[in-house]
Amino acid sequence: MNISSDPWIWISALLSLAIFSFLYRDNPFYKFAEHIFVGVANGWAVTFYWHNILVPSLFDPLFRQGQILYIIPFIIGMLYLTRFIPRVSWLVRIPIGIYMGYYVGVSIPATIQALIIKQAQGTILTPENFQTWHAGNMGIVWSVILFIGVLCTLSYFYFSKEHRGILGTASRIGIIFVMIGFGAAFGYTVMARISLLIGRLQFLLGPWLGIIQ
Amino acid sequence: MKIIEILTKIDRRIIYLILLIAVIVPLLFPSPEKVRVMPPVEKFYYAIDKIPEEKALIVDFDYAPQTAPELDPMGFAILRHAFKKRIKVLVLSLYVQPLGLARNALTQVVAEFNSAAQTNADSIIYGRDYVFLGWQVGPILAMLSMGESITNFYKVDYYGNKTDTLPLMKQIKNYNNVGLLASLSGSDIPKYWVMYAQNRFGLKVGAGVTAVSASEFYPYLQTGQFSGLMIGMRGAAEYEEMIEKNLNIKSRKKASESLPALTYAHLVMIIFIVIGNIGYFIKRRKK
Repeated sequence: MNISSDPWIWISALLSLAIFSFLYRDNPFYKFAEHIFVGVANGWAVTFYWHNILVPSLFDPLFRQGQILYIIPFIIGMLYLTRFIPRVSWLVRIPIGIYMGYYVGVSIPATIQALIIKQAQGTILTPENFQTWHAGNMGIVWSVILFIGVLCTLSYFYFSKEHRGILGTASRIGIIFVMIGFGAAFGYTVMARISLLIGRLQFLLGPWLGIIQ
Repeated sequence: MKIIEILTKIDRRIIYLILLIAVIVPLLFPSPEKVRVMPPVEKFYYAIDKIPEEKALIVDFDYAPQTAPELDPMGFAILRHAFKKRIKVLVLSLYVQPLGLARNALTQVVAEFNSAAQTNADSIIYGRDYVFLGWQVGPILAMLSMGESITNFYKVDYYGNKTDTLPLMKQIKNYNNVGLLASLSGSDIPKYWVMYAQNRFGLKVGAGVTAVSASEFYPYLQTGQFSGLMIGMRGAAEYEEMIEKNLNIKSRKKASESLPALTYAHLVMIIFIVIGNIGYFIKRRKK
């Protein structure tokens, strides 16, 4: 056992234990660590964005280098603050509108092409798609299961017609696929959370207490 | 029946304690677990391995400290693989929080290689073999702008050097000179790389993601939009296995070391889920 003498490791370890103490019940140590986290995170974010975005990308070009055109983004950005003045708060719609226009314009074509068309192509029963499973002849079976799964799941979310007859059967099969999906997602979530616990315990047992490497 | 009733009313704190023991014991008394490499990780490995000499690998570190136990080992393993194969590497982060993690990974892996190097040619040199581009405002802007010119968007690197003066950046102009982008992320970022960089510029993308988002990313592997996929600690352990087996890299395998703890914790969870369900059905039958 080789306990660390580094004060930063001690601070980190004690704050980790304070957060873990919530598992027993809410307590002042947990509250203390939580408040420190919120304060430090906000303080860090404000100073970081000030020094790395506002000063080099706006204030320096505008006020030190005299690039007058930067006054336009500066004014548009300042309009966000009009939200706090009720009489002119409607002006906030201008920067929001500009941002939304840019973002929607950029993202809609990309979303349609990459997330809808490509994903739909992946469900079509073609020899190329059979190969993507790396399962030899079983690739056909997996592709057919995927095809049925997609159709049935979509039919479950089709609410314009009563779920009876073929639609009823398809939607009942669809809910099975949905449940399998939830099960897989839950399993992976457990794996993820345990991995994070392992990471923290490795830190506490390693760099802090020196019990493990 | 009474035992089942008692088991279904276990205090949650006792469950936490048992889980803690199940994780700590394998960490204190490690027993190596055999790792079987699955096709998604194998694909990822070979996608990096086959990057042509004239092209570079971009490693995008986009995870915060809370997901580092899952994603850090992936970053280390990919950097070791690339440096061992002398693949040119560009490192960047689209958000500010991961910058420190990316710097740590680079510093440690470069030091490992340079401590074993005999000559300047064997060494991993900044500017010649790798560049840390750092961070710039706007993730989508970065993805789109790098397709035109990397040095125009990242005018200075993480350390403040002008990127157009670095020898490596004279060869790597835009995505045409990039063989693969490895996106290590605890969020949706790999999907955005596909949407903006792959869709428009044809960039190949591989993803290393947290286990919690695995089911969201599998479809992109099946459609071929991802050239490979690593999921959580398990995926990182598989990649560590690949680089040890194929490249004889004998470094610390942090993800592989954690697998026994992961296995025992899962067993505990499964046992409690089964007990909970048995108790539920017995109670329901009684009613």
